[in-house]
Amino acid sequence: MIMEKKSVKILSAKQISIQNPLCEEWMENPLNYSEDYVRAVDPDFKQFISAGDARRMGKLLKRALATSLSALQEGGIENPDAIITGTGFGSIENTELFLDALVREGEQLLKPTQFMQSTHNTASSLIGIHTHCHGYNSTYSQKGFSFDSALYDAWMQFRIGRIASALVGSHDEMSPVFSGFVRKAGHVKEGEICSEAAVSVLMAESGDNAYCTLDGVKLLDSPSEDTLKQVLADMTAGGIDAVMTGKSGNAENDSWYGFLDAMLPGIPQLRYKPLFGVNFSSSATGFYASACCLKKGGVPAVLSASGKAKECCKGILVVNVVEGRHYSFALLKPVCGR
Amino acid sequence: MSQRSVLITGCGIVSAIGQDCGQVLDSLLQVRTGVGPLKYLKTEHTEFPVGEVKLSDEEMERMMNIAPGTPTTRTALMGMIALHEALGEAKLSREDLKECGFVNGTTVGGMDKSEQFYLDFIENDSRNAYISTHDCGSCSEMIADRFGRFKMITTISTACSSAANAIEMAADMIRLGEADIVVAGGSECITKFHLNGFNSLMILDHNQCRPFDAERAGLNLGEGAAFVVLEEAGHAAARNARALARLSGYGNACDAFHQTASSPDGEGAYLAMSKALKEAGLKPSDIDYVNAHGTGTPNNDESESQAMMRVFGKDLPPVSSTKSMTGHTTSASGAIETVICILALRNGFIPVNYAFEHPMENGIVPNMDLQKGCKLRHVLCNSFGFGGNDSSLVLSAVE
Repeated sequence: MIMEKKSVKILSAKQISIQNPLCEEWMENPLNYSEDYVRAVDPDFKQFISAGDARRMGKLLKRALATSLSALQEGGIENPDAIITGTGFGSIENTELFLDALVREGEQLLKPTQFMQSTHNTASSLIGIHTHCHGYNSTYSQKGFSFDSALYDAWMQFRIGRIASALVGSHDEMSPVFSGFVRKAGHVKEGEICSEAAVSVLMAESGDNAYCTLDGVKLLDSPSEDTLKQVLADMTAGGIDAVMTGKSGNAENDSWYGFLDAMLPGIPQLRYKPLFGVNFSSSATGFYASACCLKKGGVPAVLSASGKAKECCKGILVVNVVEGRHYSFALLKPVCGR
Repeated sequence: MSQRSVLITGCGIVSAIGQDCGQVLDSLLQVRTGVGPLKYLKTEHTEFPVGEVKLSDEEMERMMNIAPGTPTTRTALMGMIALHEALGEAKLSREDLKECGFVNGTTVGGMDKSEQFYLDFIENDSRNAYISTHDCGSCSEMIADRFGRFKMITTISTACSSAANAIEMAADMIRLGEADIVVAGGSECITKFHLNGFNSLMILDHNQCRPFDAERAGLNLGEGAAFVVLEEAGHAAARNARALARLSGYGNACDAFHQTASSPDGEGAYLAMSKALKEAGLKPSDIDYVNAHGTGTPNNDESESQAMMRVFGKDLPPVSSTKSMTGHTTSASGAIETVICILALRNGFIPVNYAFEHPMENGIVPNMDLQKGCKLRHVLCNSFGFGGNDSSLVLSAVE
């Protein structure tokens, strides 16, 4: 049964990033970095994965499994109806090992395990295997728009009535060699920390103690000014406390969010990239941080880009712009009665 | 909300058996395999037959009017050729695309150039432009941008079911009214990277592949691209677009068994087919042909046989794997085989499972006679990927 409009509860959200893992310590005591390439702070994986299994998994898979299991545990769901994942590069460390051996040592004696993990959907599949979930399972790989695409798909699956719960995540790791490549390609810009992130969000039609609700998702490529105005008008019709932007401090990146100054004047702007760094799963950290603000009912000063948003009673619009062309909008609202 | 029905109003294809729908149809009717010795890929592994698209990168660049020296990849070029045909058939202009979605499926992306220039990426700045063509998303952008800017773009990467899942997502967008037209499909070129990857898994046949044969010994890698224009029925009628077929149902399920092996009972495949039939509101006996995933690996064909026998029981319709002629076009296969199913529906024939000789124990026996003059009502198209990402589409004839 197709629904016109639907509100979905965010039951839990977990991260492993350059902030302390699987907790919200960053809200009070964020870790600060002066380096321009920082790897994630990993938790003790033993509580999620046996040592034997862990040896066969790259960092991305371990983190994807840990954030997923942690999100499922807090949300009280063992078998979600859908598992939908974003990743820009997939398990790039194993991809690089396989590629490096292929190029330097020739086409003999290459390792199947590295090849297997180079496929982008290994995280979504691994979570499916681990949780015995035979339901909807998909993976998106659209640069820094991968999480946004996965979220959009989940939103559609709920509206179309196919699922009542979904685990939506986005996971990217970054090897030293590829950190050089992404700088050269401009995926990570001057002044931005090249980082890693794994984020898992559990959402469901119903459930107690939700962080917030998801009330709309929109994806656009190269929208006109009129389209942007219309989307912002629709999404902020019920009022918002703040807009979460992907501003990083880099002038070119930040200019992509200029339309918000003009079209949402007076609305405080937040930013997460100085805290979590930049990678193809960055927008997932922004979504996660927004959900945490709504759960706590307030925005920590460390997220403020302009204006002050202390209260969180109306909602946060999460906006992501990739390369000045891909736009995503996700509307998060506080749980009624909180 | 009333049920919005999803039609296909355009399709385009490039593969080892032809560079447009007409050529592919001719090859299918002549039962001509495109699998043969390696010609375009530079690799040590010349022992493996492959289903290459019989065009060099330079030839494809000329066909698509790409200025020499423009950074591009083989996957993107093949995608452009297929998209060009699909948009032409659906009569969509650059201006029209602003209201259309675009969903591409790929996994290898720009690996053909990355494996060529990897050391340059590390040691100097001469090939930096190709770093930006490495990832899956950039591949979709290159394909789409050749024709204009779409309303939205995204990329699905679920290994060998990528294109099938792209078509499913596109159909969901139409059913929900997110767009009236979404173009979806996939593209993938053969690279040394995944030729060696499949070789390391020991699932490449040294001879012409033989899906569902008792003596099958693996798959032949293929390459290609295909796109279909999915359009809401009322919208298509209003602009007098010609409907080629209807996408009447689809299902996605996870085998949740192993990263590179299918379960013995084909649970994921069984669920994907069952969901697709249920969504289409059809009984197994309504299906007149199944285009199987049928890779030719011992594991897939056994597992898929079990799943088909579970779904269809005594009503098993004719089945064939056209990978026996195209090779396994990996991420593109879901779209390539969707186009083949549409050609079968429209031209009333059942494609042959080339090179099959020996029935396997407890397996299905695929279609070996080119059946022409058939009236096909509904066909099922299977695409299964590593990680147990299994998807099935039901395509139906339109009056």
